[in-house]
Amino acid sequence: MQLVIENLNKTYSNGVQALKNISLTIDQGMFGLLGPNGAGKSSLMRTIATLQEPDSGSIQLGTINVLTQKDEVRKALGYLPQEFGVYPKVDAETLLSHLAVLKGITDKKERNETVKALLQKTNLYEARKKNLGGYSGGMKQRFGIAQALLANPKLIIVDEPTAGLDPAERNRFLNLLSEIGENTIVILSTHIVDDVKELCSDMAIINKGQVLYKGSPTQALAQIRGRVWEIRVPKAEVEVLRAQFNIISEKLVGGTPVLHVLADTEPGEGFVAVDGDLEDVYFSHIFGTAPVEA
Amino acid sequence: MLKEILRFELAYRKKRSATYIYFAILFLMSFFAVTSKYIVIGGVAGGQIVENSPYNLSFMTVIMTFAMTFIVSAIMGVPVLRDFDHKTDSMLFTTPVSKFAYLFGRFFGSFVVTVLVFSAVWVAFMLGFAVGKYLPWEPSWAAKEMLPFNFWHYIQPFLTLGITNLFIQAALYFAAGTLSRQTIVIYVQGIVLLVLYQIADTVLEDIDNKTLAAMLDPFGFRAFQIYTEYWSPAQKNSQLVPLEGVLLWNRLLWLGLAGLILAGTYFGFSFSVVRKGWRKAKAAVAEKVTFKPENVRIPTVRQVLNAGSYLTMLWQQAKFYFKITTRDVPFIGIVAVGLINLIVSSFYFGEMYGTGSYPITANVLGLLDEFDLFFLIIVIFYSGELIWRERSVNMNLIMDALPVPDWVNLVAKFIGLVMVYVLLLLVLIVMGMGVQAAHGYFNFEIPLYVKSLFTSTLFFLVAYTLLAFFIQVMANDKFIGYGLMFVFFIVTFTIGAMGVSHPMFMFNSGNLGDYSDMNRYGHFVARFSWLKFYWFTFVCILFSLSVVFAVRGSEAVMRTRLRLGRLRLTRPLVTFALTTIIAFTGTGFYVYYNTNQLNKYRTQEEGEQWAVDYEKTLKKFNHLPQPKIVESNLRVELYPDERDFTAEGYFWLKNKTEQPLADVHIQEDILNDVQTEYLRFGNGDAQVKQRWEKYGYTIYTLAQPLAPGDSVKMDFKVNFTTRGFTAGGGNTSIVQNGTFFNNTYFPSIGYAEAAELGDDDLRRKYKLPEKERMMEQTDPRGLSQSLFGDDADYIRFQMIIGTSPDQIAIAPGYLQKEWEEKGRKYYHYQMDIPMVNFYSIVSARYEVKRDQWKSADGQVVNLEIYYNKGHEYNLEQMMTSAKKSLGYFSANFSPYQFRQLRIMEFPRYASFAQSFANTVPFSEGIGFIQKVSNPEKDLDMPYYVTAHEIGHQWWGHQVPEASVKGNAMLSETQAQYSALMVMKHSFTPELMQKFLKYEVDKYLQGRAMERKKEQPLVLVEGQGYIHYNKGSVIMYALQDYIGEANVNTALRNFLADWQYPGPDSKPGRYPTSRDLLGYFRAETPDSLQYLIDDWFEHITLYENKTTEATYVKQSDTKYEVTLKFSSEKYRADSAGNDTPQKLAEWIDVGVYGKDKADKDSLLYLQKHKITKQENVIKVSVPKVPTKAGIDPLNKLIDRHPDDNTKTVSQAETTS
Repeated sequence: MQLVIENLNKTYSNGVQALKNISLTIDQGMFGLLGPNGAGKSSLMRTIATLQEPDSGSIQLGTINVLTQKDEVRKALGYLPQEFGVYPKVDAETLLSHLAVLKGITDKKERNETVKALLQKTNLYEARKKNLGGYSGGMKQRFGIAQALLANPKLIIVDEPTAGLDPAERNRFLNLLSEIGENTIVILSTHIVDDVKELCSDMAIINKGQVLYKGSPTQALAQIRGRVWEIRVPKAEVEVLRAQFNIISEKLVGGTPVLHVLADTEPGEGFVAVDGDLEDVYFSHIFGTAPVEA
Repeated sequence: MLKEILRFELAYRKKRSATYIYFAILFLMSFFAVTSKYIVIGGVAGGQIVENSPYNLSFMTVIMTFAMTFIVSAIMGVPVLRDFDHKTDSMLFTTPVSKFAYLFGRFFGSFVVTVLVFSAVWVAFMLGFAVGKYLPWEPSWAAKEMLPFNFWHYIQPFLTLGITNLFIQAALYFAAGTLSRQTIVIYVQGIVLLVLYQIADTVLEDIDNKTLAAMLDPFGFRAFQIYTEYWSPAQKNSQLVPLEGVLLWNRLLWLGLAGLILAGTYFGFSFSVVRKGWRKAKAAVAEKVTFKPENVRIPTVRQVLNAGSYLTMLWQQAKFYFKITTRDVPFIGIVAVGLINLIVSSFYFGEMYGTGSYPITANVLGLLDEFDLFFLIIVIFYSGELIWRERSVNMNLIMDALPVPDWVNLVAKFIGLVMVYVLLLLVLIVMGMGVQAAHGYFNFEIPLYVKSLFTSTLFFLVAYTLLAFFIQVMANDKFIGYGLMFVFFIVTFTIGAMGVSHPMFMFNSGNLGDYSDMNRYGHFVARFSWLKFYWFTFVCILFSLSVVFAVRGSEAVMRTRLRLGRLRLTRPLVTFALTTIIAFTGTGFYVYYNTNQLNKYRTQEEGEQWAVDYEKTLKKFNHLPQPKIVESNLRVELYPDERDFTAEGYFWLKNKTEQPLADVHIQEDILNDVQTEYLRFGNGDAQVKQRWEKYGYTIYTLAQPLAPGDSVKMDFKVNFTTRGFTAGGGNTSIVQNGTFFNNTYFPSIGYAEAAELGDDDLRRKYKLPEKERMMEQTDPRGLSQSLFGDDADYIRFQMIIGTSPDQIAIAPGYLQKEWEEKGRKYYHYQMDIPMVNFYSIVSARYEVKRDQWKSADGQVVNLEIYYNKGHEYNLEQMMTSAKKSLGYFSANFSPYQFRQLRIMEFPRYASFAQSFANTVPFSEGIGFIQKVSNPEKDLDMPYYVTAHEIGHQWWGHQVPEASVKGNAMLSETQAQYSALMVMKHSFTPELMQKFLKYEVDKYLQGRAMERKKEQPLVLVEGQGYIHYNKGSVIMYALQDYIGEANVNTALRNFLADWQYPGPDSKPGRYPTSRDLLGYFRAETPDSLQYLIDDWFEHITLYENKTTEATYVKQSDTKYEVTLKFSSEKYRADSAGNDTPQKLAEWIDVGVYGKDKADKDSLLYLQKHKITKQENVIKVSVPKVPTKAGIDPLNKLIDRHPDDNTKTVSQAETTS
């Protein structure tokens, strides 16, 4: 099965153009959707998850037309929105079981088993009798993941799932996804580059509603090989360099600014060639080659 | 700092459009209320009370504070809550603002806004009255003389009642919102306020609770009403309602409470973000982890998505919604408040003069109806709540992506709510039976509960739920949705007031009607069923639309919803929608066919217009000399199941005038749609001279003019046929069990003045001249006809009634024969002496209780009570009353003219009893089910009503009075006097005092609401508060002052001279109240003649007050009591302007002491001559005095009866 997105456009009523002519083909496996906040990731994912209408374009999941055969899509869908709440006065087991019924798991025994397994898998089993109102952010997020995995979905859309998770939880979650990802299309949106690096066989970078890059992380790395230069400078000089060079990232290491510049040749004195990582790819697309808006 | 916060709050509100919308809504409501005919606030103005009187302005201001609750809650509930909702709390609380400045800045800032918004009311009032006359439409007061503009009249109530109410509400809502941080708690708070108001209303059923009721109501409305309850129209038009008495106490109490609540809020509010929970969280039970998440395998499951699993989902969701609703704390709060309200009401229901009713199921169902308000709140609130459930917890995206069909969501919400309703209805049934059990009544009619609550009430809930769903879905904003529901009610109400009252336009119309033990739900069922089906299909259409337009996903723009909606038009949904549309249209046609084709439909205005046209066209025939009916002989065939009857037979008409009569004018009963099949005179040779079809009015020209003294036979047959159902409730006189109608259904003679519009405001609206309510006592036309009309004086009467075999039919007269024929039962009645032309036809499935009364001289009267099985409670008392009454009246007035007296129960659609010749139809709703729980404290109402009606066999039937002003003083007041005397000889003096206390109260309240003019008793013109209530008080006082024997002598003499009066009698006319007054004067000593003038000829009010009461012990058997008191006497004019009168009165002075049973009993009671306002009187009594005063038994009409007596204290001994 393949998810084919063609020429998707969407402008909100407040005039913001969230999707600009987006076309993507997503195969089974993990697909990373990388982009800064407000890039249009959530809009795209909601559109795939049948929750939003594009102005134009088409989405095809195998033989299903996502835009018109919503019920068919929902059968196969597991969706974790970026922000969500739960009924505070209901415990996790009850709510998950409730959602399981709504996913069509009508057999009681199967339902109990699957609920139990998911709670264990997300490490919520001990807290299953506790009201969701008392859950921490991470626990709530894991509950969200558990519900997205109900009924063995063929298409899993997880929007910023690792936000709010501590490193251990994040690892466990990514592992979980990778286990599932084999026969399933998993679309993972994130602004954390490492999430994609570790898991995804395929990825896209979007910003301001446009796809800036699509391909595998490996290809992406190849594109910038030998073009990333690093320099450590005192704070006072940062401004000058900014004006001069195509800076794709700035960070502080031990209090000193460390700048990465994208250039085909050595930009100047003091620059050291480094192995670019996916983060550089990301930033290069966001800040580097992307046309600056007038 | 406080100032800063305050300014911020003002600035915030200034930017919000809501603030202006609130102002606009209030302004428009108030403006139209004073300038249009259709919107009315309070409805106390009109008639004598001018629309811009200070009283009406105060009244409207208070009422508007009720409407204002919604706005106050919206403004005052949120100032702090807002910070939590917008999550700005943490930012704010870390600034150096003090808690005091923060809280009170927010409070007063919002309060100022509230007051400004509310000022829309007086601005609109002022403007409305100023420009009303120049508007393109006409205010109801257009043709009336208004009071000159007085700024203070508008501002004073705004200050005393408006702002105080706002402050009280503001404090409560602010506290609720701030402390609970939940919107819904604010609403529950509002409900509590309304319930307090409601409870205050309920406890008022007992007039001893007035002060309590005045205090209970947080709006001060009851206090306002109680403070002004006896204000005459003149006072209302001239006086501002001052802040004193109960009104002041109420304001102080509630303002004090509001202050305490604010203080409590200050101390209770924690100025931090995280709150301690109410309860400690349960310690989680640690379980041993026996697995590693990594090793857990997620099993593969079968996903079943078909019709069956959709039903499972539906059920699953419905249960879920049911659970979250019933466990919601505010829900439990609303229900609890509603049930408490019911419990309070259950102590008072069915009260008459402070005496309650048996809790028969019909009564309890009426009680349970009080919960409807709470149902409505639950429906509106939780419909919105459930529609927004997922979105409010932000779980909507997860839920919306589930493979659940679109319709399941809404249907599940609906079913969930229906389950909630079913639960509540069951609770109500248990509650109802609990109330019955608590009253010691164990005849539980569970099927009846179910039949009523699970049809009418449940349907009402279903209809409003689906409507609310639709509005919530379309509005797509919870609060706009609530607002629109409110607008919906206002619009419905307004179009109703504008005369659009056809059930096809009144949402959820089709009342099931009152349940009667006799007639059950009778014919209401058919109309109810059809209309409910009509509305059900209507809400189903709305529901289909809701499904189509319901928001699913993250976008709510209408364009998107339209686009998505098209995708949702699945075959089942389209089929459903089409079916309901077809059913709706079909039912609509059927309803229309019934209400407008089979039956005549008239709007209220059309009805009024008909009366206007009738008057304009036919008034010229009023008082035209016509022959009189002298005999009625009819065969009435009643078909109770079909609710039809036919009446065939004849009247004999006699020319009692001096000249020949060529034409006879016949009026058919057109308003009841009685059809005349034929109507012939003599040999059928009369000609129709002219006929007005629209008015059922025909002039026949006889073949030969009827010579003076000659008679002509009028044969006729009329048919009353019930077809289908009507737009209104339909005829409740001719019913399946418990038919009761009278001869007004048969043809009558000449113009019917009673059909004219009577109310002056209404007459002005149609440009008709104002009209006197009755003829003057000198009018010969009035003197020549009795209160029973000008069709006849006395008639010979017989009637055969046929009815269903299981019913007994009764008419005046004596039963001659009873037989069965063709499966029907027939009764032949004949009266052997002339009787008035007023007869009832009654038929029902009756049980009969029989007894006899023998007079001292051997006259035997058969007593019969025809009652509905199960209503045996008071038969014995009614029998006793009948015997006592016949005994007293025949001994003191004249012998009873009949050999029989029958009382027949009729359904509770009307609450009265009425006296016909030897028959008394008596409503199911009064008397039969009244419960005298404590004979020492409760007035025995069945006893009283029976005595009153039997009194009418004398006053009305032996002496029908002239149809002129003052007439009811002869019939009603004397029937009242008769009953009082029977009661006086059976009841304790305390009970008599209690009865009279109610009578004074009803009189004083009645005159306060008089629309035209208050008349003295001798000129009473159909004013019940005068001829019943004031009549009782005056007659009771008269027999106290001049002696019972003397009053009876006067009445006996009057009867001797005036029995069976009329043009054919010795006096040649009917008597007036002044005729009777002559007999009273004759028995009154000269020293008391002034009473006849004061009490009968004028409106006289007294103001007696004891200011000081002390005693000195002179010996063990002698205590000297010194009383200081003031006395005043006023004479009021017809508008209620008082003029002080010179005093030369005999007034009781009384002293109470304790008797052996430790009860107050009179040690001294003497009349003293009082000639000045301030008085000191010393009297000696043999025991320790407890209470003393002037007119202690409230024999005189006094607006402050409670200050007549005072507790006596021991005087400071100076020696």
